[in-house]
Amino acid sequence: MRQSDSHEVSQLNELKIDVGALCFTAHYVLNGNVIMCEQMPIYGGYAGGLEETTIVDVATHLNAFVMTQASWHLDGPIHVRWGITTAREALAVAGHCARAIEANTHLLLGNQYYTMAGPCTTMCLLETAAQAITDTASGREILSGVASSKGVATNFTTAMEARMMAEAARAAAGMELDQVNRILDQLVGLYEKNYKTAPKGKSFAECYDVVKLTPSQEYLDVYEEAVSTLTELGLNYWRK
Amino acid sequence: MALDKKITVFEVYNRAKTGPKVDERDWDNKIIPQTASRLKEKYGIKMDKRVIVPTDPELINNLFRAGLEMLVECGVYSMDTGRVIKFTEEEVLTSIQAAPKSVILGEGRDAVELKGRSYADSRPPLIQGGPTGAPVSEDLFLALHQAYAQEPLVDTIVDGVLQTINGNDPVPNSPWEIAAVKSEAMLVRMAQARAGRPGMAL
Repeated sequence: MRQSDSHEVSQLNELKIDVGALCFTAHYVLNGNVIMCEQMPIYGGYAGGLEETTIVDVATHLNAFVMTQASWHLDGPIHVRWGITTAREALAVAGHCARAIEANTHLLLGNQYYTMAGPCTTMCLLETAAQAITDTASGREILSGVASSKGVATNFTTAMEARMMAEAARAAAGMELDQVNRILDQLVGLYEKNYKTAPKGKSFAECYDVVKLTPSQEYLDVYEEAVSTLTELGLNYWRK
Repeated sequence: MALDKKITVFEVYNRAKTGPKVDERDWDNKIIPQTASRLKEKYGIKMDKRVIVPTDPELINNLFRAGLEMLVECGVYSMDTGRVIKFTEEEVLTSIQAAPKSVILGEGRDAVELKGRSYADSRPPLIQGGPTGAPVSEDLFLALHQAYAQEPLVDTIVDGVLQTINGNDPVPNSPWEIAAVKSEAMLVRMAQARAGRPGMAL
């Protein structure tokens, strides 16, 4: 690891820490490393509902820069039932928290991505796009992902989801918030009723030629389908 | 007048040994939910989940005030010592003020600057691409990460975790865990180099 890599230390739910994390931090500080402090507040967990979780999330962000002398904070509000960051409530917590911090400080903020659906599915790409739009339009500085299939299945993540995260962010950057919220409401509505039947998708080896490292034509077609949906909702990035 | 100083991790540890004792179940089930609920009422905070990114400046600022008050009033619970680490509002604000406004991630021609942006900025965020801690098998770890590193819009890598190391389970607090973590870093660095981006951050 180099000093210019992001050295991770994690807070615990909610507003908790262990001494081991402080030991990591001491090493990072004395070595002059970039420090990334991570924490994923739980919507529906100890804090409670939407507003309470957002308040705790704001406190957690601030604590990253006090307790762990962070260079940047990595958020990840997660839904207690679904275990994903792309649920409507998780997005609302992230969007409100980032705007609150962004309006009152200069702090550097990121967010991490856990989708319900897996690679090579339009649902996974639409979930990813919804969060990228939220994070970009609420002033975050860095997007980190994507842990597709909730980040629990072996080899069920691919670079195509990161491509969507990047392109959706570019599509939303500078967009008026009224339009952002209108698009998000419709976009989340397209997938939020499908959590129980969400497709696991395909593994990296099924999505890519693992020697040439090129995505399959099937995945490129799925990607185009997602792009068409996003374009119909009002994102003009792919028309340029 | 003495200059305000930001809190250091060493001072945090000292407070973790001397702060007030609290039962962890009380922290989880009473202190956190009750304080958050009271601050919600105090600041009149009401969110509409159909409006994912807020536009109301009063709501935005009240959320910040409530979050700041939550941190100062509750502090942070140290699980190993069973004590609460407390900060004053001045200490929190001084530490925030001292936080970096920008950071360079990576080296040489592959370095990128992480710097502040507003919600209305037409400059997009940086992209940290990768499995984000999801499990990856040993045989595909290098290739899977190289696919991220060669994506033109990916600026840095967030890696996955090796499911095994030389066929062994990298259980926490074992030598195999150390071997796995070191291998993850080495393999990601190699993936970046093979993609022609050796200075890219991870």
